[in-house]
Amino acid sequence: MAKTVKKVKAPKGKPKKLWLTILFGLVSVFYMAPIFLVALNSFKKNTFVKTQTFALPNAESWAGFENFKTGMTLGGTFWKSVFYSLVITVLSTFLIIIVTSMAAWYISRVNSFFCKFIYFACVFSMVIPFQMVQFTLARTADTLKLNTPWTIPIIYLGFGAGLAVFMFTGFVKSIPLEIEEAAAIDGCGPLRTYFKVVFPMLMPTVISVSILELMWVWNDYLLPYLVLDRTKGYMTIPIHIQYLKGSYGTVDLGATMALIFMSIIPIIIFYLTCQKHIIKGVAAGAVKG
Amino acid sequence: MKKFFALLLVLVLAVSLAACGGETGKDDGDDAKTGSVYWLNFKPESDAALQEIAKMYTDETGVKVTVVTAASGTYNDTLTAEMDKATPPTLFVVGNDAAVKDWGEFCYDLTDTEIAKELNTDAYQLFDADGKLCSIGYCYECYGIIVNKALLDQAGYSMDDITNFETLKAVAEDIHARANDLGFDAFTSSGMDDSSSWRFTGHLANLEYYYESVDAPDAWKTCPAEIKGTYMDNYKALYDLMVVNSATDRAQLAAGGFDANAEFAEGKAVFYANGNWEWSSLNEKGLKAEDLTMIPYYCGVEGEEKAGLNCGTENYWAVNAEAKEEDIEATLAFMKWLVTDAEASAKAVETFGVMPYKNAAESSNPFLAQANAYASAGNYTMPWVTNFQPNVNEYRKGIVSAMNAYNADPTDANWDAVESAFVAGWASNYAAVNG
Amino acid sequence: MKKKKKKAHSSAAVNSKLLRRPIRRFGWLFLLPMAISFLIGFIWPFLQGLFLSFCKFRTTKKWTFVGIDNYLRILDDEQFLYSFIYTAIWTIVSVVLINVIAFAVAYALTQGIKGTNFFRTVFFMPNLIGGIVLGYIWSMIFDGILSYYNTNILEKTEFGFWGLIILMCWQQVGYMMIIYVAGLQAVPEDMIEAAKIDGASGWKTLTRITIPNVMPSITICTFLSLTNGFKLYDQNLALTEGLPGVLDKATGLNTYTTEMIALNISKTFGQSGAFSKGEAQAKAVIFFILVATIGLLQLTSTRKKEVQQ
Repeated sequence: MAKTVKKVKAPKGKPKKLWLTILFGLVSVFYMAPIFLVALNSFKKNTFVKTQTFALPNAESWAGFENFKTGMTLGGTFWKSVFYSLVITVLSTFLIIIVTSMAAWYISRVNSFFCKFIYFACVFSMVIPFQMVQFTLARTADTLKLNTPWTIPIIYLGFGAGLAVFMFTGFVKSIPLEIEEAAAIDGCGPLRTYFKVVFPMLMPTVISVSILELMWVWNDYLLPYLVLDRTKGYMTIPIHIQYLKGSYGTVDLGATMALIFMSIIPIIIFYLTCQKHIIKGVAAGAVKG
Repeated sequence: MKKFFALLLVLVLAVSLAACGGETGKDDGDDAKTGSVYWLNFKPESDAALQEIAKMYTDETGVKVTVVTAASGTYNDTLTAEMDKATPPTLFVVGNDAAVKDWGEFCYDLTDTEIAKELNTDAYQLFDADGKLCSIGYCYECYGIIVNKALLDQAGYSMDDITNFETLKAVAEDIHARANDLGFDAFTSSGMDDSSSWRFTGHLANLEYYYESVDAPDAWKTCPAEIKGTYMDNYKALYDLMVVNSATDRAQLAAGGFDANAEFAEGKAVFYANGNWEWSSLNEKGLKAEDLTMIPYYCGVEGEEKAGLNCGTENYWAVNAEAKEEDIEATLAFMKWLVTDAEASAKAVETFGVMPYKNAAESSNPFLAQANAYASAGNYTMPWVTNFQPNVNEYRKGIVSAMNAYNADPTDANWDAVESAFVAGWASNYAAVNG
Repeated sequence: MKKKKKKAHSSAAVNSKLLRRPIRRFGWLFLLPMAISFLIGFIWPFLQGLFLSFCKFRTTKKWTFVGIDNYLRILDDEQFLYSFIYTAIWTIVSVVLINVIAFAVAYALTQGIKGTNFFRTVFFMPNLIGGIVLGYIWSMIFDGILSYYNTNILEKTEFGFWGLIILMCWQQVGYMMIIYVAGLQAVPEDMIEAAKIDGASGWKTLTRITIPNVMPSITICTFLSLTNGFKLYDQNLALTEGLPGVLDKATGLNTYTTEMIALNISKTFGQSGAFSKGEAQAKAVIFFILVATIGLLQLTSTRKKEVQQ
């Protein structure tokens, strides 16, 4: 079961189901529509977003790049938010992958009482609503100075470890022991065994977990909002978008759409470049959960 | 798979390189001795101006001023989280009685501080139960019904024709009847979505509470546990007048999405219920000060010919009593600077409207001038009694749902529900947060 | 979970001394970083939060112990009860719909139709967009459509309910579909061939052979969609914020008909008043216990049905 998923092949001799292709083609168009609508409306003046959501921008509603300008200047410099979002997301994901996969291997190979305790605590942490810890976590992070983009990954590691450990442990269990034993007999220490032998085998799960964590951290709003030291001007993209909401219920929809558009572009590019691996990884990694 | 991992690795490297750069660059020097200011602001709209003011002060005195703005609608949560931190806000907003109850123990007693002595009125001070001066207003605002005098003139009326509810009603109904000929209507739309409903659940509601508080001043010294709803009929009269004599069908108000400010600026309506803060945007859109004025909420109360505008504020400063001594000093000095320094107070007044301080810059806002004109003519100013609304967000949302039902089907039964949201809702919400 | 079974069926859980000892010596390196950050980022705040649910507090530093008062106050909170039932109904509907659609799509995509890989790519994409952003996008779309009928998503409970369902299906079907595709491809082809030779109908093959064999996928998908549904917050906040409210004439209070539990908790935190924060914390504890129980029950019950290979 450790092998990656087979490529989809048409069973031989069967007629291709053309109507299904057409049906899914249509559905695909609807599936992509929301993303195009965001792009479309980011070029419209605020008042027209609500009234002419589905129309192409016309002479009256065309706002040019005005929305992008407002969105990017309001609430601080947008590029700073992009930079911090990137820092936090990449560092956190990297940290989570390395640390939790190592822990998962240790847990399933040693399997002591303490390991079991950690494992169950992880499973529990998956179902904790963030509200339960929002203020206490913010305070702990502040006391330990884990409130900068460079240190907040440790918080993400702690709060997000549950899912990662859960998935990694599931996968590690399916790796035959013999391989590792062979490595040990050849004189590999645990470190080399892990990085040379085990970690490469974990790749599908690594990707699967990376995607989940990347998406979570990149889009997370409340945790960085409460934890980051805002007096130093640290912002993330979701926080930035939230500032387009005025204090009396007014929302600049045009600018919001512009910012949303800019925040999903990097993700979509990333996804399209790596989509084969991502889909394979998610598939292979998740079945073992 | 390798590509994926390589990409991730490159990003990590790039980021950690940048991290090193960032780390070395962030040497703030030791502001420990001089103290610093951390202002937790609550209006996203004024963030940009406050950042400028903070920079001005730092350039001038070397004292660090940090302004952080809470995201819309999350001030209480943000304050809770920030107050726990190693560097809590030194300056924050405690804008009404409920907030004094919540945050009073964190408030530095402002009695006899230099900043408090700068106040030119004692209207904008909030005390706790023990008489501690918890917070002071840093600006005040006024609201009422904004009038486009030029259009009123075109319709054949002058300001002298409107002195009370009867006359206002006559003028509005006449204009509405001739709307097609005139090319404009009496009132702007009265949308009940989040971006506009506060004009009715917050502002207009003030007339009900205010006249009730005039009847029973003692009961209204602090937030009363329940209200009577004596003036609900007056509220209804004015609300109906606004909604009926407008180009927008009242059944559509709940859905919202209207831009009353634009309607007014484009000359589509004579009357517009809102406050002095609308001036800058109306001015930007081409309306002139001499064509604009603001009239009181005429609603059929006895003696309302002598009414003035609704003046008040929810912008109250409180200083964090638990901050470091030097930070408190720095904060008080900053506050004083902001209301006395010519350039700084001019900038602040531009953002906030008017500041109730002896040495602050004059306001050029025509609506505030109108408020003062009423006051000096001996008319009674209506303070913002509306600030007492208990559990304010919930309370107002209750009113909004009732009014939506009423707008969809304006029957007496549905109006009863609005009254219930006003009166029973007050008691229930009071119990919910104080019980 | 089922340790004994795992031991019997896979060599992995059998611990080899050859490996265990040297690994143990490196425990500080393998386990400690994770254990420490888990302590900081989860266990400590969680215990503090648990404690605060028995307190009246303004900030987490300033608390007074009040015993179970907060929990008693929740008993009177009708909105919380409503939100709980609403969340449960919504979650059940969404779990069923998401999984049925995802399974159907996955099933179709494994029948070898043209453009399979393209469709997979497209269907997975929405999964990359985050909660609040999703809410903004869809409220724009729904309001755009409903404005033709002079209404908007905040006007009717049904709009909010189905709107959120559509939104979540759009986001999650792709992810679940990928997992189901993997599960379906792991079904031994010879079993299906054998069933066909025995003359089993398509439906029978599906229910007797295919579904039992993809049970592991079903387990993980239902677990994910179930906990996601119960914990849903961002999308709920950004799409309807709990509106519309229905007014109770006697009390003058609203019942928010699309307010889910997480949103209810966060709104309680935001309220003024001396008790609100402790009450919200207590709600969070109850909520946690519920989600944990349901999640674990579901895991163990579907795990039982899994076919051991």
